[in-house]
Amino acid sequence: MTWARVALGGAGVGLVVWGAWLALSLGLGGLVEAGAWLTGGVLVHDFVIAPSAILVWYVVARRLPVWARAPFVAAALVLATITLTVLPTLGRFGAKPDDPYLLNRAYLAWWFALAAVLFLVAAGWALYARRSAACRSGSNTCSG
Amino acid sequence: MRGPGLRIPDEADLRTTLRTPAVAARVGVWLGLCFGIAFLTGLYSHALQDPPGWFTPLTRPVWIYRLSQGLHYLTGVACVPLLLVKLYAVYPRFFVRPPWHDRRAMLLHALERGSIGILVAAAVFQVASGLANSSQWYPWLVFSFRSTHYAVAWVAIGALLLHIAVKLPVIRDAFATPVDDGEEESSGLTRRGLLRTTYVASGLAVLSVAGGSVPWLREVSVFENHYVPGGGVPINKTARVAGVTASATEPGYVLTVVFGDREEKLTLADLAELPQVTERLPIACVEGWSASGDWTGVQLRDLRFLVGAPAGSTVLATSLQEDGPYRTSELAGNVADDPLTLVALGLDGETLSLDHGFPCRLIAPGRPGVLQTKWLSRLEAI
Repeated sequence: MTWARVALGGAGVGLVVWGAWLALSLGLGGLVEAGAWLTGGVLVHDFVIAPSAILVWYVVARRLPVWARAPFVAAALVLATITLTVLPTLGRFGAKPDDPYLLNRAYLAWWFALAAVLFLVAAGWALYARRSAACRSGSNTCSG
Repeated sequence: MRGPGLRIPDEADLRTTLRTPAVAARVGVWLGLCFGIAFLTGLYSHALQDPPGWFTPLTRPVWIYRLSQGLHYLTGVACVPLLLVKLYAVYPRFFVRPPWHDRRAMLLHALERGSIGILVAAAVFQVASGLANSSQWYPWLVFSFRSTHYAVAWVAIGALLLHIAVKLPVIRDAFATPVDDGEEESSGLTRRGLLRTTYVASGLAVLSVAGGSVPWLREVSVFENHYVPGGGVPINKTARVAGVTASATEPGYVLTVVFGDREEKLTLADLAELPQVTERLPIACVEGWSASGDWTGVQLRDLRFLVGAPAGSTVLATSLQEDGPYRTSELAGNVADDPLTLVALGLDGETLSLDHGFPCRLIAPGRPGVLQTKWLSRLEAI
């Protein structure tokens, strides 16, 4: 390990300790709750999100024709990650009855529109992939 | 009863041609960049709200905070797809069997797993809590968002530096060869396909919310949290929620300006008689949105001169609100002296509305929205 790596790692450890020191200002109740959220995030990823991605591959993507798999996976990845990004917005959890400008768009409708566009693009890509595969194999379904 | 096929998977079970350092390192560089920008802009925002003694807030360009907080929010949004794909790429590592029989190896293994655990926990927390805050959703009960987001930011960036130090040889090797080096035939996405899809997802996620800080994207940013039809300045806290409706509309309203034992009480008519200026200034919220308005009012420095406060005095602004963390705000000397720092009486050619801070509010360049105190009741030069 070079000195530069040791210095970088040492600086990293120092910043982690500084952050932990700052966190002490949260008090016992705040620390316990923040600890639960920090741990919860890892658990939700490792035991819910990651296995769900594997499940979608096995249950859906693997059963699709080969030419449709990559387009499906790409569309699903874009949709799933954007959905997680905007989840608090989609759920309108922070909406307040007297704030007309907060969380005031038709988010679910737009989500369905986004999903439709993504899967339409994926369908176009899949059909193109099928045609290209047919052309490569010299099949007579390739008219070009 | 356990069937023969049911067991805890190990690393090899989950390894695919996509889950490789080639993918993890490339996504990791973008993720590290976004985290770095979010960290630095977050520090700047924190310093504005809780200034250390040596800190002088920047007031030019007037959109500096709009830019820095917009970057903070949008890089945080970009992180979600990047982080999820990064974790996807390294997920098999979660199932590495600990080297139970070798104490030294076990210690190193535990240290590595511990540091990765801290990094993942801090990264997920920062992104999730920041996104919740941007939509004003506070599902936690005890901890304060700002203090916790700030403390965990240091943990996240420290754990990231440590991770880079540990993985540097792996990262170097990953970039020394083409991304598809050794890639097996797969029926799904290729590595290049996965990377491109991830960047598209990040870009679309940013585009879907960026209208809050980039006005010309407003109509395409369909998941923006604050939307004012036809443009205009959003409102975060209404007069009713702040509990000031009665006091702000009270006919006997006066703004008290104080320096030492000198005190001036100014009615709304007195304020309107002072020289008025109109300036186009953005209001930029810590939650990421921002909007420009034409603010009309009195320069704060003119009010300060009324009570004989010297140039460079710090000014403490107090709202009519009776409580709340942002009831008061402090303006450093350079901000209070700035000719663009106004006690605004009007917005976009009209009298300030009650929810925008009637009878008068602060508006200053380069300052977080929460510090642009509304419903002013007192200004004290210190």
